[in-house]
Amino acid sequence: MNSLDPRVKRLPVIGQPGQIEPKAPLDQFGTFEVFVQPKEGKPFQHEGIVHAPNLEMAFVLAKEAFTRRFMCVSIYVVDTRHVYTSPMTEGNVSVFGFIHETPAQAGEKISYEIYQLIKRGKQHIHAGTVQAVSPQEAMSEAKKVFSTDNKVIYNLWAIRTSDIRFTKPEEQELWLTLPEKKFRDASAYKAGDKLTEFLDKQKN
Amino acid sequence: MNELALKELLYKMADDQLILGHRNSEWTGFGPLLEEDIAFSSMAQDKIGQSHALYSILHSLGEQEPDTIAFTRHADQFHNCLLTELPNGEYDFSLIRHFLYDTAEIIRFDMLTQSSFKPVAELAVKVRAELRYHTLHANTWVKQLGSATEESISRLQHSLEYALPYALGIFEESPYEKELIAEGIFGGEQALKEKWKTKVEEVINQTQLQLPDWKTMQPILGGRKGKHSEHLQPLLDEMSEVFNIDPTAEW
Amino acid sequence: MYGGGNTFEGIKTDSLAQEDPIKLAEFEARIERGEKIEPTDWMPQLYRKQLIRMIEQHAHSEIIGALPEGTWITRAPGFKRKLSLMAKVQDEVGHGQLLYSAAETLGKSREEMINDLISGKSKYSNIFNYPAFTWADSCFISWLVDAGAIVNQLANAKGSYGPYCRALDRICAEESFHLKYGHHCVIYLATGTKKQREMFQEALNRWWAPMMHFFGPSDKISAHTEVLMKWKVKMSSNDDMRNQFLDMYVPKIWELGFTIPDPNLKKNTETGRWEYTEPDWEEFKRVINGDGPCNKERLEVRRIAEERGRWVREALKAPKATYVTPLA
Repeated sequence: MNSLDPRVKRLPVIGQPGQIEPKAPLDQFGTFEVFVQPKEGKPFQHEGIVHAPNLEMAFVLAKEAFTRRFMCVSIYVVDTRHVYTSPMTEGNVSVFGFIHETPAQAGEKISYEIYQLIKRGKQHIHAGTVQAVSPQEAMSEAKKVFSTDNKVIYNLWAIRTSDIRFTKPEEQELWLTLPEKKFRDASAYKAGDKLTEFLDKQKN
Repeated sequence: MNELALKELLYKMADDQLILGHRNSEWTGFGPLLEEDIAFSSMAQDKIGQSHALYSILHSLGEQEPDTIAFTRHADQFHNCLLTELPNGEYDFSLIRHFLYDTAEIIRFDMLTQSSFKPVAELAVKVRAELRYHTLHANTWVKQLGSATEESISRLQHSLEYALPYALGIFEESPYEKELIAEGIFGGEQALKEKWKTKVEEVINQTQLQLPDWKTMQPILGGRKGKHSEHLQPLLDEMSEVFNIDPTAEW
Repeated sequence: MYGGGNTFEGIKTDSLAQEDPIKLAEFEARIERGEKIEPTDWMPQLYRKQLIRMIEQHAHSEIIGALPEGTWITRAPGFKRKLSLMAKVQDEVGHGQLLYSAAETLGKSREEMINDLISGKSKYSNIFNYPAFTWADSCFISWLVDAGAIVNQLANAKGSYGPYCRALDRICAEESFHLKYGHHCVIYLATGTKKQREMFQEALNRWWAPMMHFFGPSDKISAHTEVLMKWKVKMSSNDDMRNQFLDMYVPKIWELGFTIPDPNLKKNTETGRWEYTEPDWEEFKRVINGDGPCNKERLEVRRIAEERGRWVREALKAPKATYVTPLA
């Protein structure tokens, strides 16, 4: 292709120019929710999604999509379909009013990660872990553990811990050099001195 | 410390990272999936950053400024292996090259964390951390595409067979191997190659790809001595096009 | 990078008559209180439709916007510029990723959006249909086109739709790097050799008209958007954004001793508004409808990129996958 971009000039000829083959559903894969821990001791928070063919790939792709600048010590991902969500409330109505105690269920209790929305418009933040037989019970456990009288929570998510792809201990060094990647920050581009010198010269 | 031996080592590593980082950056905006576009670009940036760090060590040893070294030399003054300068081809080749190269590099920098030359040993700890992502990325993709459809397997197989002789060129020996090993600067290309083969086998064995017999492979050498393919000079001309409008100007 | 030009056209408010009046009142009251709308909340069809349209155009503008600057990605002069430009173009792709995800929460899949981009059905910012002839053009884009985009994006970040606002918060934080980087590049050209100064002056001459188009047609001739303003979908009028941009950046361009190619450009000290030669809105329309210098190339590059990646995606498509919209 004729172009000012040498990379475009090198592109192979594929198909007919202008002839579009529409994408089939799921050509861009399913979605995975991405959670980031900005600092040791801080809770994980929801950051967004990636499209990926599977959980492992989602982890690999999420790392650069969401943590190539700012602070990060750990991430994890989960298939969007594996996040159980409560209703969403507003004003001063807390979601806990809509979560009812579940009758005791038979079965093995497993662990669930609970996320809560503290302010509408903001991200969901990790509240803690509960043990439950089902997602419904996890929500009701969350109500027992995390509802306090003065705090309005608008939405809850429950995620089976075993559905999550966590950062492995040996992967923790993935973010080791992140603070050194200054070229991605505005602070690396100071030209004030050069400008002042130029302006002074113009005046004289 | 044998400075000639050390500089030779630093030049070839820096040139490798620069040329491959440059090649990989050509994918930016053209990747097979938005998320992968971003990931590939980050790894290209890491490589450019790593080459800059290595050229900076060279500068501290009396060589010219990193910009001058990178943007004004002629192809025959570059010591990168030929694998890094080959055109990107399709994603299968770019991926296989990334896999073969970074598998070697993480071992190389792991060895270098023990280097008797402190500036390199310190840098190697950081580079190794970045390469941990590169190899996680490469291994994940190769394992998946190498076991998926007939087309993906045959594409990767073809690229693997094409790239392997070039990949063996990564380990082309320096005239100073003995000195580097004796002085504890670097454990040597031969040791690196053996570890690399094991790791490559380990990953390929988890796929439906076939690794050709190592004995039948003829390494393609020359890059470390400045003998390059027809692809390097055009790459350098393109890379320095703006810089060369006025090499004394500040851009 | 997105300026908001020509996003809304032909809005018919008839469909509002079919909406549940109580729900509509609650919806509007929520926006009035300054609360965000989230994907699971009730919303009028018109709101959903226009938001998809706007966020999708914004996403396309990022993906296509990676191309003009990408023209120089292999030729950036020196290590510092090389790394910065790589990171900058990468960010544009990243912004596209974030914005497509935000649009998806409203029910349109990424596949459909990309199809509509490549087929030309869906638009993107007009400015990216112009070529980047020299390195200085890429500096113009990094500094001034991004500056224009920030004016628009900062306004939109105060809008009513939660997922879009969250994406924009992230994008705006990254754009501050783009703006500083671009200004840094231009200061170096301005204070450099004669040749460097000429390069930037020429780029400025080429890009000024598209830059004035960037914020969309003047309010006098653009479609009615009152309901979208009320719903905090559109946050600022085209002329207001253009004026804000001129206010912030014309002095900075002049300070560097460059000439802006519009003899009528000046600030009216009485009204506080900038006066300028009316941009050629016929050209704007012509280019947005496909007849610009690079429209064909931009879409063709996208088409080829998607085609080249097809085997990769087909290989990894999971048989059990089902489509769900992102949560937030």
